[in-house]
Amino acid sequence: MFSRWDIKYSPYLYVAPFFVLFGVFGLYPLLMTAYMSLTDWNLIGDRSFVGLENYSALLVDEYFWNAVRNTFAIFLIATVPQMFLALFLATLLNRPLRARTFWRMLIFVPNVTSLAAVAVVFGVFFRRDFGIVNYFIGLVGIDPISWRTEQWPSWIALATMIDWRWTGYNTLIFLAAMQAIPKDLYESAALDGAGRWRQFLSITLPGLRPTLFFVVIISTIGGWQLFTEPLIFNGGGGAILGGARREFQTVAMYMYEKAFDNLQFGYGSAVAFALFALIVIFSVLNYLLVRRSVRN
Amino acid sequence: MISPILRKGASMSVTTRRRKFAVVALAAVTALGGLAACSKKDEEAKPGEIKLVVDHFGEFGYDELVKQYESTHPGIKVEIRKTAQLNDYRPLLVRYLATQKGAGDVVALEEGIITEFKANPANWIDLKPYVGDKRNDYLPWKYDIGVLADGRLMALPTDVGGLATCYRSDLFKAAGMPFEREKVSASWKTWADFIKVGQEYKTKSGGKALLDTVTTAFSAAMSQAGGDGFYDKDFNVVADKSATVKSAWDTAISLANAGITAKIRTWSPEWTAGFQQGTFAATLCPSWMLGIVEQNSGAANKGKWDVADVPGGGGNWGGSFLAVPTQSKHPKEAAELAAFLTNADSQVAAFKAKGPLPSNLKALDNSDFKAYKNAYFSDAPVGAIFGSGAKTLKPLVLGPKHQAVKERAFEPQLQAFEGGQVSAAKAWEDAIKDAKTQGAF
Amino acid sequence: MKKLWAASPLTYLALTLAVLLSITPFYFMFVVATRKLEVINAVPPPFTPGGDFGDNFQRVLDNEHAAFIYGLINSVVVSSIITLSVVFFSSLAGFAFAKLRFRGQNALLLIIIATMMIPTQLGIIPLYDMMVNFFHLDGTLPAVILPFLVTGLGVFMMRQYASSAISDELIEAARVDGCTTFRIYWSVVLPALRPAMGVLGLLTFMEQWNSFLWPYAILNADTPTVQVSLALLSQAYYTDYAQVFSATAVATLPLLIVFALFGRQIIGGIMEGAVKA
Repeated sequence: MFSRWDIKYSPYLYVAPFFVLFGVFGLYPLLMTAYMSLTDWNLIGDRSFVGLENYSALLVDEYFWNAVRNTFAIFLIATVPQMFLALFLATLLNRPLRARTFWRMLIFVPNVTSLAAVAVVFGVFFRRDFGIVNYFIGLVGIDPISWRTEQWPSWIALATMIDWRWTGYNTLIFLAAMQAIPKDLYESAALDGAGRWRQFLSITLPGLRPTLFFVVIISTIGGWQLFTEPLIFNGGGGAILGGARREFQTVAMYMYEKAFDNLQFGYGSAVAFALFALIVIFSVLNYLLVRRSVRN
Repeated sequence: MISPILRKGASMSVTTRRRKFAVVALAAVTALGGLAACSKKDEEAKPGEIKLVVDHFGEFGYDELVKQYESTHPGIKVEIRKTAQLNDYRPLLVRYLATQKGAGDVVALEEGIITEFKANPANWIDLKPYVGDKRNDYLPWKYDIGVLADGRLMALPTDVGGLATCYRSDLFKAAGMPFEREKVSASWKTWADFIKVGQEYKTKSGGKALLDTVTTAFSAAMSQAGGDGFYDKDFNVVADKSATVKSAWDTAISLANAGITAKIRTWSPEWTAGFQQGTFAATLCPSWMLGIVEQNSGAANKGKWDVADVPGGGGNWGGSFLAVPTQSKHPKEAAELAAFLTNADSQVAAFKAKGPLPSNLKALDNSDFKAYKNAYFSDAPVGAIFGSGAKTLKPLVLGPKHQAVKERAFEPQLQAFEGGQVSAAKAWEDAIKDAKTQGAF
Repeated sequence: MKKLWAASPLTYLALTLAVLLSITPFYFMFVVATRKLEVINAVPPPFTPGGDFGDNFQRVLDNEHAAFIYGLINSVVVSSIITLSVVFFSSLAGFAFAKLRFRGQNALLLIIIATMMIPTQLGIIPLYDMMVNFFHLDGTLPAVILPFLVTGLGVFMMRQYASSAISDELIEAARVDGCTTFRIYWSVVLPALRPAMGVLGLLTFMEQWNSFLWPYAILNADTPTVQVSLALLSQAYYTDYAQVFSATAVATLPLLIVFALFGRQIIGGIMEGAVKA
């Protein structure tokens, strides 16, 4: 009697914790975000339903679009060089190396650090006065750059931080994919007289296609949610603004500012939901883009 | 499908020894996990003991006072929670009050935010039943800010922000300029004089900047003009029409145009480095700033700083109050602590520790206070410098979101102009626009 | 052929450069953490560590505002509980999906895969509302633990691993012996899944150690996690970098130690995870 019950219902019992917990703490908040974005609420008092008012305000909200632009720019400046660098490092690691694991571990180690620590350390590197980056560019005769107050420099500084942390990770992902490509493909190509570059273009890259999708999508999702690095990089009071003129305020920071600093929880939810939409749109777009550009 | 897939493979299989180690490590982590969650607040007072939490931002100089209070009040434990920046302190406090929990038993309210909090009197206990009427103890205009429209006493005054200028006498000397505080004070009676001194310093020091940033001058200039500036009496934002704002703005712009500032944002890593390295030779110093200058500059720069008069005349920049939220479980004890921290002796002690200028009349008359010289600032007679003007400070009543308008609308735009990212006209336009959003009440 | 793909000295040179870039920030952090405050403004910075770590870290301990030690302990507690929970529930569900048959199985698995694409961080506003107004847990550790007790990625990883690591015959044999399903999970599946559970556990731990936005929103300054505490240290009224860096070094060290011990497995896990993408 028990054993029949056991076989029939145990599986549900085993998967139930995931669905219950995810439902309550993952799905429900997300759906509620959609609902709350249609209300005006300041944490206490009534939630008044305002329809699409928050969204019509969002459409003409200069600072929201500014945050979208910043986030996208940082994502782009970070991701493009990172992909090339990771591909390059992966091809290096894919060769027969002495102390293979040693190299892999040291390339990956930036990923294993405290996020806040990265932002603090790079914040010091990128100081205008007495910063090591300005010291080095000073050696080649460039004037000190005010990394924290100017738009492009701040984007570059943040992109550097992101790349330092994630290039190694993506290198390993690419490396894994490269190793899964059958070796005989290369051998026959070599017999046909294809050089290394030719082999890379016609065998390695197509073989990496699904992995590229994966990496680009993951980077997109992560990139749009950028929060910790710019917040700590800014430092000082009112760091949530992301620079005096919001030069590097990201969408996630703007959401936080609206919801948790200004207590406009309805409007903050609208920002959050718009961000969700942006992530979906860009994931799809990137997927199509990568599919087009890496065709067999 | 785009998804990471885990597959059994060579690199996955671990040796038995390693596996055992993994299990041990996991067990160790679990054991640690069994520790109770750690919160300073959870260090519950012993039975019969009352724990009071004091919330403040920046430096109030209460560390020693609190120890003293604990020793004279057995059964009471006091914990101080410092949030570094007022800018980050206010949103937290707003949330604590909105959710009816989390706030300290005694909380500091700065003059730039207190008006906003007065709008919800239900959040605050009336201190009068516990501490009595203290009107005659304090500067009257200061005391009145802490009194609600219905006569209830919501907050007791801590300090006022009398103005001076902190400057590096060693750098002035090295540049071959007058460096004694009387001469320096005499050299910059007005902001125009200050610009001249700045340009002279720049020439003689090989291009270095006199002032850290224009925003400190903006704050000082606004407080010299007096009144609010950002708001009218009905709490509408009128920053665009205010003569006070305009004149402070123009002063700041003229300083930036003269090129005598280091273009360093206050509280930034560059600011800290600047204090330590002498990137700039002066900053505007309300008395509460003394402790901050000292900490930023560090022990290595002791005796290099000095204190002179401020260009453009006296004013009041900053200063705070202590209040007790109704959510406190020990309103009586909290009110008594607030009264202790704001009494004459405590205000003198806090002034010596971190610089906040007393608002208590007896403290201002205290001979110890008047004679106090600050060793870090080349033995500058700070008691005399700040104390002399304290009683004649002009009354200030600030609008509900004065601090947000100043720090999130005007200062950022001034910094951007100073840094060359935006024209003065555009900076003004955006500051006005942001002021309307940040100041909405 | 062999020549074409051989590693030349140039390869090693390029890799060495990359590794130098990787470790310089760590090295800089440890140098500043062990020297006097003034070196932060030295240009170029000093190259060797000093002996002032004790003094610097003492200032961290004395800094009540950042409550660093509390943050450290809280992070260990939070990350450990979440790690245990994720590993346990993932292995349970992964086992069910891989080795048990039940109605709706495929649809449910698809849902789990879909959840991996959802940036749940975006739900923090209702989550905040829920914790404050419904559970009344704001400012407490359960508020940072509860939302992360399960992950779709974990379930999926375990399912994939269980599919290939455990033979159906083994399960059948256990059934014939009269084992209950939970008994099978406990004595057959769990031991077989252990390597994958180790990797999932390490990855989860590292991810939670770095969690920031949600703890920053829901926790108070006197109950921080280590990342929140670091943020508070670096946003102070004045920034004592020797102090901040000694704290960041201490916050990073546990991760580096774990990585030194289990780096091979972590890397293996990440690479294995990517292969069938």
